[in-house]
Amino acid sequence: MKSYKITVDGQSYDVTVEELGAAAAGPAQAKPAAVAGARPAPVSPPGSAASAGAAPVVAGAAQVKAPMPGTLLSYKVAVGQAVKRGEVLLILEAMKMENEIVAPGDGVVKALCVAEGASVNTGDPLIELG
Amino acid sequence: MEEKIRKLGERRGKVLEGGGLKRVVAQHEKGKMTARERIAALLDPGSFVELDAFVEHRCAELGMDEVVAPGEGVVIGYGLVDGRQVFVFAQDFTVIGGSLGEAHAKKICKAMDMAMKVGVPCIGIEDSGGARIQEGVDALAGYGDIFYRNTLASGVIPQISAIMGPCAGGAVYSPALTDFVFMTDKTSNMFITGPQVIKAVTGEDVTAEALGGATVHAATSGVAHFAFPDEAATVAGIKKLLSYLPQNNVEDPPLVDSGDPASRSDPGLADLMPDLPNKPYDIRDVIARVFDSGDYFEVQPLYAMNMVTCFARLCGRTVGIVANQPKIMAGVLDINASDKAARFIRFCDAFNIPLVTLVDTSGYLPGVGQEHGGVIRHGAKILYAYSEATVPKLTVILRKAYGGAYIAMCSRHLGADQVFAWPSAEIAVMGPDGAANIIFKREIDEAADPAALRKAKIAEYKAEFANPYKAARRGYVDDVIDPSETRSRLAAALAMLGGKRERGPSRKHGNMPM
Repeated sequence: MKSYKITVDGQSYDVTVEELGAAAAGPAQAKPAAVAGARPAPVSPPGSAASAGAAPVVAGAAQVKAPMPGTLLSYKVAVGQAVKRGEVLLILEAMKMENEIVAPGDGVVKALCVAEGASVNTGDPLIELG
Repeated sequence: MEEKIRKLGERRGKVLEGGGLKRVVAQHEKGKMTARERIAALLDPGSFVELDAFVEHRCAELGMDEVVAPGEGVVIGYGLVDGRQVFVFAQDFTVIGGSLGEAHAKKICKAMDMAMKVGVPCIGIEDSGGARIQEGVDALAGYGDIFYRNTLASGVIPQISAIMGPCAGGAVYSPALTDFVFMTDKTSNMFITGPQVIKAVTGEDVTAEALGGATVHAATSGVAHFAFPDEAATVAGIKKLLSYLPQNNVEDPPLVDSGDPASRSDPGLADLMPDLPNKPYDIRDVIARVFDSGDYFEVQPLYAMNMVTCFARLCGRTVGIVANQPKIMAGVLDINASDKAARFIRFCDAFNIPLVTLVDTSGYLPGVGQEHGGVIRHGAKILYAYSEATVPKLTVILRKAYGGAYIAMCSRHLGADQVFAWPSAEIAVMGPDGAANIIFKREIDEAADPAALRKAKIAEYKAEFANPYKAARRGYVDDVIDPSETRSRLAAALAMLGGKRERGPSRKHGNMPM
């Protein structure tokens, strides 16, 4: 975990960045996963408090997170693929079951966040949808 | 006399107009019906009898003596839903924002008191800006009087709340105390403190919809039991729910003959179960094939989806089904699933609705979040609710029932009247992998090839213990059944239990973990 202070449009945010073990799985993945894991907390915003509405650090894309701890067995989709709501995105082996994790809505797969075979914890991002 | 009758008509006409044409149009533009239109949609045509139409407030402070509020912002009365009596109150947003003052609250209380007295369901339709501030502590007293009645009526008559507009602050607690909360998507909100207060206090920016809309409460908070896309669908949902319920706690639910024979066997049921125990399936497919005509009505379908709770019928009689959902999160028991199931079980027990439990769970969800969130405290609710329930309790173990989860899912030990198991059932103190690791730890550690021995020991344990026969040998499982006979066996058991009488020890009330 590393802490940074980021200033955007004159407003500073304390951001904690956590390096995910599987970040090495693919070069394209690392960035969105790491940034989205951070939670921006406005620190003494200069000027009007009303401008705090902009949260520039968080990606607008929907993120599918691990509902429980387990092993990511396999992805059923590829980056760039369009998916429909309810479509199986990946298989998460957890509680001795091969759980189908499905798309929460229609979208396009932006990134696969961890490597197949990796262990994940509750709340870890697994896939980015845009 | 004629003149007096004419005057009556005039006065009533004023009340029926509500807040006037302009406000009615504004209400319609938001996709909302007026209070009277909602009541008309809910009740059988021509059956509504209004009470307290001429009630007026007596507040003279802060300019309120000038304010005319036809009907005091709430319409109350009684009528029929599919031929069965109900009481209803509907807040009228067109009359000073449906705000709740002393007289408004008294009207609601009258509807509730009458519903209690005659033993019929009470349906509240909420659409209110909140407390009428000019009436001060009298408005607060009004809320308190309603909460008190909600509590007294709990477990006596079914109480249903439909949120069809704003419902904020203290107002949320009346619905929260009722049995079922319906919300209409996009036009209803519920929250204790609204977006402006949150913004001022914590700096968080959130819209009313994202804070307390129908989707949030149906999927995330669990406050709403049902969410529907529009008001017509919401009203239809209320009617559907009522069709499963008795009028009160001393009546049985209505019998609805579906023509689906009790003896119907279904060889296809066995095919729903995957060959491998680590493959998921949708428990709702099982529910649809076992109960009458494939018809069931899910409660909280979007919340804690790893546990399915629904009403259905078996040979025409309403049953409440509690089922693990292997398709979602391996059907684990966790905090939210426990809350969801326990509340449903208690409702069914209070209203003489037999319980059918379908078991296939991977057990309790491990994790720091669960433990720190109080899974002990919340999980205990399922044990309490099942143990306390005196309605007929039938259990079918389809597949996994290990350890604490086996006990919790309406086992014989919590008072199940009949427990059946499919041949695919695995009933044991823990899963084969874990058990083999513990029991044969030393042997495995000392073996020349630990991996091979471990595998062999797991297989040995599986063959010996991961089946329904150990439990059947003790009589904890009454019978191991062919899946195709599930319906007929449940039907026979339900008929057999028709005369079940069970009383707990005399006490004021138990102390359920909360």
